[in-house]
Amino acid sequence: MDFSSVLSGFAVAFEPQNLLFCLIGVTVGMLIGVLPGLGPAATIAILLPITYSLEPTAAVIMLAGIFYGAQYGGTITSVLLRMPGEASTVVTALDGHALARKGEAGPALGVAAIASFIGGTASILLLTFIAPALAGAALAFGPAEYTVLALIGIFLVGTLGSGSLVKSAAAAALGLLIATVGLDPLLGTPRFTFGTDQLADGIDFTIVAMGLFGVGEILYNLEHRDRPQPAVPAFGRAIPSRLHWLRSRMAILRGSVTGFVLGILPGGGATMSSLVSYAVEKRVAKDPSRFGKGAIEGVAGPESANNAAATSSFIPLLTLGIPANATMAVLFGALMLQGITPGPNLMNEHPDVFWGVVNSMYVGNLLLLALSIPLIGVFVRMLKVRPGVLGPLTVVITMLGVYSIRNNAFDMLLVIGLGLLGYGMRKLGFEPGPFVLAFVLGSLLEASFRRSMRIFGGDVTEFVQRPVSGTLVAVLVLTAVIIPVLRGVRARQSAAAERAAVE
Amino acid sequence: MADPEREAPEGDAFDEARPGGRVQAVVAGALPVALGAFAAWLAFGLDVGSLTDPGPGLWPLIVSGLLVACGAGIIIVAATAKGPNGTEAFTKGTINVLVAAGALAVYASLFEVVGFEIPTVLLLFAWLRFLGRESWLSSTVIAVVATAAFYALFILGLGVPLPHLIAF
Repeated sequence: MDFSSVLSGFAVAFEPQNLLFCLIGVTVGMLIGVLPGLGPAATIAILLPITYSLEPTAAVIMLAGIFYGAQYGGTITSVLLRMPGEASTVVTALDGHALARKGEAGPALGVAAIASFIGGTASILLLTFIAPALAGAALAFGPAEYTVLALIGIFLVGTLGSGSLVKSAAAAALGLLIATVGLDPLLGTPRFTFGTDQLADGIDFTIVAMGLFGVGEILYNLEHRDRPQPAVPAFGRAIPSRLHWLRSRMAILRGSVTGFVLGILPGGGATMSSLVSYAVEKRVAKDPSRFGKGAIEGVAGPESANNAAATSSFIPLLTLGIPANATMAVLFGALMLQGITPGPNLMNEHPDVFWGVVNSMYVGNLLLLALSIPLIGVFVRMLKVRPGVLGPLTVVITMLGVYSIRNNAFDMLLVIGLGLLGYGMRKLGFEPGPFVLAFVLGSLLEASFRRSMRIFGGDVTEFVQRPVSGTLVAVLVLTAVIIPVLRGVRARQSAAAERAAVE
Repeated sequence: MADPEREAPEGDAFDEARPGGRVQAVVAGALPVALGAFAAWLAFGLDVGSLTDPGPGLWPLIVSGLLVACGAGIIIVAATAKGPNGTEAFTKGTINVLVAAGALAVYASLFEVVGFEIPTVLLLFAWLRFLGRESWLSSTVIAVVATAAFYALFILGLGVPLPHLIAF
């Protein structure tokens, strides 16, 4: 492993401009983590046009900061109000809010912040050692391998989402279909353009992400007006006592490992790992009945897990070019916009971007730890901003951002149309995640499929006969067996969590 | 639901989203089938080629087939399953969503014609007053102040060439 490029990555991360964008990113991330409604994928999508004018490293550092910062922010409302700002902090609400009712909100938030910090940092360290090896192995991949790999990515994101399997598959198929609009990647024949020049270049990824995630979420939030905010309990000093710390430290360790491993799996990510970590803590606890009534391990484990997972989910994107979840799909788009193709060559071709972004996460986690404790009061006050005011402001930012991409009002109409599609999909039970992911991977999948078919002379069974792609096919089949089991476990977990929440 | 007063939130405004009925669940499958069939028909119009030498139409055809198959699967599940089907019933709030999207479309079409200031103020005001139910005064103030802030951020700060009336 080339340590000099790791070290020069620190130099990149500590450039004043990059420090500033890291700070902006984590602060915005924490803010949207606190506010329910707009998730990190939507926020990053909305901010994509603004990153056009930035240098690639600074842009990705900021967008990545939004993603892991949101994990910190979501905790605050989970603990104080039992109103999770993010899906990955839902399970934190169980014991976190119970602690808050006992007057221990401060220590709970303190432990959550420290657990998040340790989970995130441990995950970056592991990433530093594993990513180069993975990228090295991926350099040998050809079109056949990429075809199977892209399929695995889409398949896992579809199946690990919360919706039904067949609906996720339908959403992914629609994403693949929309990705074919424009010119044929190999022959240049126009497809599905309906004769208009506006569609000849295909639909820009930014437009799809902003429409489906951004406008789609804003429209969805308009339908039901939010309940009045509950009163915020006093939270005191966010400093955990010795007892809290003693109880938490093993949970943090286990949570970090759980989170790291599940985060690498496409589709695994933060939500899944926080649920699994909670289950593990309950299993190993001497007295499981304390859970749900204010067990600090039930905060420490999931919080370290969701941050570790948020960090390790960068690995498939940065080493294989396969985004592991919806937010990573948007980051994939952000890198492409900057003219950087995420994949095994990223580390060699753009070591400054790769290691600059990775090492900026240490800085980001430190900033979050430093910010989260003193600023809890400020963020809680942000909750008083009514959604009725926030919606219009975000929609205008989105519209102006869309226009600025190509100075084209047609794109604005396209975003509104895709926003309505996103709204309709959510009402009918389709998740937008698999759609966007499939859209991102669509041209890679099609091009590598067609190249493989040429190489194989039309023989589909070659995918299984070649050693590397054959192994990947085996992985695909294996996951198809494992996933239903994991889904079963998780269904039981969330059912138990809901029961506990009702009590 | 009791008849709501004029300023009170509409009927189910504070309710949680309710699951949708079986018809809606079947429609959720019929739409992908229709869309997939339409796309497949268009894909045949392109050159499909063969597996050995795929034409531009082959991949869209495979994907459309997948879409039709998934849609059919959704219909089967929806017609046989009991209990919640993952859909969410449309409510009175759906009208808000459509009106909001309509307002956005009007905004997008006015934008290049009269510059961004007036449509932005109007859009913000409409969303704040009629969808967010802010008071007349705060809707007006927020709309004007926010538009000025966007002008400062996008045109003066980021140098985005938005069409605008007011120039410095």
